[in-house]
Amino acid sequence: MFVNLSKLHLKEECPLEDKGAPKLCMKALPGEGAERSCAFDGARVVLMPIADAAHIVHGPIACAGNSWDNRGARSSGPQLYRRGLTTDLHEMDVVYGGEKKLEKAIVEVAYTHQPKAIFVYASCVSALIGDDIDKACQEAQKEVSVPVIPVNAPGFMGDKNIGNRVSGEVLLQQVIGTAEPEEDHPFAINFIGEYNIAGDLWGILPSLDALGIKLLSSISGDGRFDDIRKAHRAKLNVLVCSKSLTNLVKKMEQKWGMPYIEGSFYGIHDTSETLRMIAQMLGDQSLIERTEKHIAEQEEKTRQIIDPYKKKLAGKRAVLFTGGVKTWSMVTTLKELGIEVLAGGTQNSTPEDFLRMKALMDPEAQIIEDTSAAGFLTLIAEKKPDLIVAGGKTKYLAHKTRTPFLDINHGRSLPYAGYRGMVTFAEAVHRTVFSPVWEKLRQSFPPGGEAR
Amino acid sequence: MKAPIKLKQRSYSGNPQKNSPALGATIAYMGVDGLLALLHGSQGCSTFIRLQLSRHFKEPIPLNSTALLEDTAIFGGWDHLKKGIAKGADKFKPQIIGVMSSGLTETFGDDMVSALAAMRQERTDLADLPVVLTRTADYVGSLQEGYQLATLSLLKTLTVEKVPKEGQTVALFPGAHFTPADVEELKEVLTLFGLKSLVLPDISTSLDGHAELEPAPVVQGGITLEEIKKIPGAVAAFSFGTSMAVVGQKLQEMHGIAHCNIPSLTGLEAVDNFYLKLSEISGKPIPTQLLRQRSRLLDTLADYHDALAEKRISIALESDLLLSLSGCLQEVGAHINIALTATPLQEAFIPENLPIAVGDLEHLEERAAGSHLIIANSNARQVAVPWKIPHLRAGLPVFDRAGIPQKVWIGYRGTQRFIFDVLNTMSSQ
Repeated sequence: MFVNLSKLHLKEECPLEDKGAPKLCMKALPGEGAERSCAFDGARVVLMPIADAAHIVHGPIACAGNSWDNRGARSSGPQLYRRGLTTDLHEMDVVYGGEKKLEKAIVEVAYTHQPKAIFVYASCVSALIGDDIDKACQEAQKEVSVPVIPVNAPGFMGDKNIGNRVSGEVLLQQVIGTAEPEEDHPFAINFIGEYNIAGDLWGILPSLDALGIKLLSSISGDGRFDDIRKAHRAKLNVLVCSKSLTNLVKKMEQKWGMPYIEGSFYGIHDTSETLRMIAQMLGDQSLIERTEKHIAEQEEKTRQIIDPYKKKLAGKRAVLFTGGVKTWSMVTTLKELGIEVLAGGTQNSTPEDFLRMKALMDPEAQIIEDTSAAGFLTLIAEKKPDLIVAGGKTKYLAHKTRTPFLDINHGRSLPYAGYRGMVTFAEAVHRTVFSPVWEKLRQSFPPGGEAR
Repeated sequence: MKAPIKLKQRSYSGNPQKNSPALGATIAYMGVDGLLALLHGSQGCSTFIRLQLSRHFKEPIPLNSTALLEDTAIFGGWDHLKKGIAKGADKFKPQIIGVMSSGLTETFGDDMVSALAAMRQERTDLADLPVVLTRTADYVGSLQEGYQLATLSLLKTLTVEKVPKEGQTVALFPGAHFTPADVEELKEVLTLFGLKSLVLPDISTSLDGHAELEPAPVVQGGITLEEIKKIPGAVAAFSFGTSMAVVGQKLQEMHGIAHCNIPSLTGLEAVDNFYLKLSEISGKPIPTQLLRQRSRLLDTLADYHDALAEKRISIALESDLLLSLSGCLQEVGAHINIALTATPLQEAFIPENLPIAVGDLEHLEERAAGSHLIIANSNARQVAVPWKIPHLRAGLPVFDRAGIPQKVWIGYRGTQRFIFDVLNTMSSQ
């Protein structure tokens, strides 16, 4: 089933004229070095953490070969999602069409790997040669007992954001609501847009467990296909990364009357606030009281542990460059460590995320407009921050500027979510800011010489 | 015996060991000083390459994109390419721009040559900016092929003029399987023979992970444009890895320079042969320093011959690296259980007694049982961990071991290091 792009309401959601605002529907300029990703990537980022599904990329090697198993989304069980599966289109397939190959591939993958479902992703090349992946999925479905789900988000469709949205539509149209849970849990919730990077989710679950809240499904970190089918029976959707899946929660609200809240589990303040909102939305007085008690205990415990780090980090200044929920939530989290955000920027956020970031930052702080490597370097040279918080793409460039750097995006190996994550985060920030290597890098050698 | 091993034919690739040819071309471009790489494709094409290479080399990868969208699939990407080159030139002030095509632009048949010509007419100020075009359709070949094509393109585009012969200067074309440290080792060996080298591409000073003075969004280090122009003045040329033979042949064809292909530079015999050739060209005996290294290697082989003999080793690597390492292992008495290449290899290059086939890491999974060692990229940990087989990281990407760009696999020293790595990895589990 093709997702109707016009129904995604892309245009009306980018009204911001602000400098540095994320442009959902704006085209990147050729040669400007925007370093953004594509719709195909966006779609796969959302769906791939569904751990017991097979994810087949219908395209030439570039789309899957360069990129499989490159994100830190973790699974507590099945490892199938990490497998790189592609039709690996060759020249002859491009000339004669790859539909038949795809059909066979789906059947073979189903037989070999016994997935709970199969997601099939179109790519630029397969879309361009006119391969009908919907038809191929339908044909294969006749021989395969698990759902075969086409995802039509070829790279040229646009930015990563658009692919995120397409994947939300795919879940809505073909997965959610196709099965019923065995029990009606009074405090069942879904997480939407929590990708369990480096095990983030596992830093939040202890709080949910302690409060008696059931995570019915997670879309999609450490996700299981059968849980997501039942997601419509949760009492509440907790939108963790609004960039990707706002459309999904809005439509679930329309279709099944499910309320939703937006929250973040980064930092003490945001974690508490999100837990508080969950309890209040679930509306149970005893749960609300339990939650307040839990928050008070956890906050005190966490503040105590991070206090020595905070004392040492107070007054340090950071540049923040990330996407999604982290765009604004990291501003608060850094402030909790006494770190001021000097400049902030984002490419992959919603206008709402962007405005929240601006509201939280010092009015004097700079909004990063040129998000290319060149723009980034100019900014660092001007601002001379004590810390850069950004993603892996920027990591090695940041190191060349001899500035402490913290990877906050999908390539990191440490979980930062929840109270436990805040401690890990504080430790990580402290480690990099006070690492003795930066001073060595800045010293001239031989002493008094020009060269460093 | 020369017939490839028959593998179960599948309609899909499972855990592919292939990377895109454009990724290989990007590595080649990273060996040219002041170059800005530009991928003519949609944004994800370049993002994936940047990420993959960044996590392997632990370096920023200055790769730009023409950022194609849906309309280009209908109207062509010409305009984007013209704009992309001009914008890149204006904004980043590179000395050279290296363009690669993608599956998308090759499928709708974008003519990069005429787009470049049109751009030069419109922007007369950029008429002399060197621009190298490489056609890297995603659906033909892998990393090694893309690297080969970009090197070929650099040679053809940038070495047109006749230059005076420079005695004792040799042109070197390292293969995609050489690490930055391998290239450095090669250059040092040439120096020991009193030879000057012009290395295309030279990643030994650009992807070797040094803390630059001022970070920049173009390639820093690598062979300079001036040095590339001097290549036709070399007295001899060597290409490394069978896939690079065409580059050496092209140089011979264009500028009449004697060329010799060195399929492997790992293993005693392979290194012996090369050093004897260098001795011949330079008119100097093999330096005592290298003979000392050779002697150490021989001693190592004696010490560990029993630990290596008859060990069953499964390898999945692109063919140049695969031939180098498997040749060395067979030379010391190990058995190759299965040798999987990413792309087909010409029959003429397939050695006797090598059980070779084109395959992915799922094929490795099906064949690796009972092996004492797996040699493959980091992705093969999905095979090695469940099977509990020791896994030596080689190829690309390697993201879970430190010091990969600084690792030497060639020459007597590199061979000795490789033998140690094989032994240490096998005994680590």
